Amino acid sequence: MSKNGIIIAGAVTAIIISVLAPFMASSNPDGLDKNLINLIGGGSEEHAEEIIGERMPIEYNAPMPDYSIEGMGKPGEVGAIVAGTILMLGISLSLGKVLVKKQGT
Amino acid sequence: MHIGDGLIPLGQSVIYWLIALVFIVKSLEWARKDMDEMKVPMLAALAAGIFAIQAMNIPIPWGTSGHMMGAALAAIILGSPFAAVLLLTLVLVVQGVVFADGGITVMGANIVNMGVVGGFIGFYSYNSLKNSIGMTAASFAAGWLSIFITALVCAIQMYLAGTFPLREGLLFMGLYHAVIGVVGEGAITAIALNRIMAVRPDVVSEKSVPGVGVAA
Repeated sequence: MSKNGIIIAGAVTAIIISVLAPFMASSNPDGLDKNLINLIGGGSEEHAEEIIGERMPIEYNAPMPDYSIEGMGKPGEVGAIVAGTILMLGISLSLGKVLVKKQGT
Repeated sequence: MHIGDGLIPLGQSVIYWLIALVFIVKSLEWARKDMDEMKVPMLAALAAGIFAIQAMNIPIPWGTSGHMMGAALAAIILGSPFAAVLLLTLVLVVQGVVFADGGITVMGANIVNMGVVGGFIGFYSYNSLKNSIGMTAASFAAGWLSIFITALVCAIQMYLAGTFPLREGLLFMGLYHAVIGVVGEGAITAIALNRIMAVRPDVVSEKSVPGVGVAA
């Protein structure tokens, strides 16, 4: 397996996980969110969100919030995570190339 | 364990960003010095894999879920805690900016937790255990410890931010992540390291193979 083989094996593994994730991932809140709901929301997710909303220092709208594409349901979630995975490959390969090139020259 | 905007006051967020920036600069220095043409593909494969696996929340009891961080795995395979800092920084930037997973103002705190704390705990616990209990057990322990300690640090930050009471924060963050650490971090770290050692042992840093001394 060559250098490209490592990238291909990694990409294939990551894309398989990306496609499965929307169907297999638990929709339960994560550990931190569960604590927010219990410790500051008194058991209510809405109440916790209200309190946090008042403390929000900035308003920022991400293009694909919560790994979804608006109005596209599950296929949108698959698309969002696959797009993120490809973006990660692109960014890390580009950064790696820049850094290693500097080392070589 | 991604902290969202609004959970930490701006002043404290700036401090976490400054700490994170020191480690990010150090991680870029590591990359320039240590990364070669063989490590770049591995960095990319890990970045994609860790991003994807972080989208896969595993259910645990108490109506809660959690996912792997991947810092211990990255630090073990690439042979430096700074590899975890660099990789988790890339993942957290994409997650925060594109997917609103983790806030923007608090991104420094998330990088400090998952990248710095996760990476350093994962790397040094693995290296202190690998010669006595072997790669598989050491990587499981390092994965578990990395997410457990990171969760406790996160609870302390939430206390300092006035978001959680200290005792309950530590207790429940610790409890949830002790469970997530077994399946989500420990097991996946050990399985992934095993698989990579089976097919491509040459891409795993020689520092992480038992019998070799470790120098950070």
